[in-house]
Amino acid sequence: MSNQEKSSGLPYPVKLVVGAVLMFGGFWLSQNAEQYLPFQHGLAEKGIPLDLGITIAVIGVFLILFPVINSFYLKPLADAINERTHALESTFGEAESLRAEMTKMKSDYEQRLVATEAEARAQIQAQIKEAQDLRQSLMADANAKADELVKRAQQEIEAEKQRVLGELRSSVVTLTLQASEKILGENMDSDKNRRLVTEFIDKVEVPS
Amino acid sequence: MGGLLSTQTNVLASAEAVSSLGTAIYVGLVLILLFAVLAMAKKGLNGRVFKNPWTQATEQLYLFIENMCVGIIGSHGRKYIPMIATFWLVIFVANVVALFMGFSPTASLSFNLGMALISIGYVQFEGMKANGMFGHFSHFAGPKLGGLMALLITPVIFVIEIVSEIIKNASLSLRLYGNIFGGGKAVHSMNELGHSIYVPFGEFLMPIKLLTVVVQALIFCLLTCVYLSLVTGHHDEEHGEDHGHGAPAHA
Repeated sequence: MSNQEKSSGLPYPVKLVVGAVLMFGGFWLSQNAEQYLPFQHGLAEKGIPLDLGITIAVIGVFLILFPVINSFYLKPLADAINERTHALESTFGEAESLRAEMTKMKSDYEQRLVATEAEARAQIQAQIKEAQDLRQSLMADANAKADELVKRAQQEIEAEKQRVLGELRSSVVTLTLQASEKILGENMDSDKNRRLVTEFIDKVEVPS
Repeated sequence: MGGLLSTQTNVLASAEAVSSLGTAIYVGLVLILLFAVLAMAKKGLNGRVFKNPWTQATEQLYLFIENMCVGIIGSHGRKYIPMIATFWLVIFVANVVALFMGFSPTASLSFNLGMALISIGYVQFEGMKANGMFGHFSHFAGPKLGGLMALLITPVIFVIEIVSEIIKNASLSLRLYGNIFGGGKAVHSMNELGHSIYVPFGEFLMPIKLLTVVVQALIFCLLTCVYLSLVTGHHDEEHGEDHGHGAPAHA
């Protein structure tokens, strides 16, 4: 509701003066109606109770009343209503502003929450990837070490095998010589016989 | 005239008997009551919520009149609120006085004619201000006609419209006068009927008179708004369609 627009027409002081003149003039005219308004008597006889003096006085009274009632009560009332309306509009505006701010904050928080979740997810993925890399690295190391151990063991086994084979060959030669010595009943030249047996064994030896 | 406090037949037998001094006294009484009510209402204007019942009532009246002015006259109707509200308050309080006292200003044809002259005079003033002197009076000539018709019909319409404008004064004043003065007469006459058996039959008309108190104030203000809208309504239409100067000034 907007403020009352200023009523057009004469200024209030002029209205008051004109109103007072009309009021007292009309009253005086009514008091002297027989002299100045003689036709009213005829109207009254016809049943028309018209007193133009009172009419003029009433016009004067209302010219005074309009600004007086307006300034005495109507304008303060309109101002109070407008003030209340503006206060209510202001309160509603504040509430609306707070609501908008809350909505914005909620949106910000939601965005931040989404960003945090995404960041946490990315960190988790990175940790998982790092762990997988570490796992692969460790497994590769372990496999390399195992391979090395296996290789070393195979070498040791091969060396042991060669050693055992050598010992076995030696034992076989010895046993063979002993057996041959017993069979032949003679003491053979040990070095010469040993060489012969060894050559024989090398010929008949099956590769392992 | 009769009322709650004037069931006896010899109390101010008729409005005609009231002199100009008596009328002035009653007008003074109405204004005293009016300003007393307004003063009580004004005390309650402090604070955001009006708790004073007088303030609440006048606030509702103000809002009602504001809606009436804006609804009938248009967005520029707010500037007429003080005048319409003053009419309403004076007529309403005077009508209420008529219920309880032997006489009331609104039971005087002279008083009502004064209000009607102000109302219609102000309407003419606003019309001339809104449309210009020539524009305002050209409305009284009716639709624009050509040739012989303009010479024959337009002056007749112009005279009829002028007479109609003058008759509006009589219409406004006689309606209010007839209702209030006639209502009082009816109560007085019916009280006369029951005078011998001490039964104030006329007071049984009180519900209708209470309705009349409000309705007559409403009609006077409503018609003033309608008259104002007819002469100033073009303000709202100026920016829209052509308002047609040939239309009559009033319905």
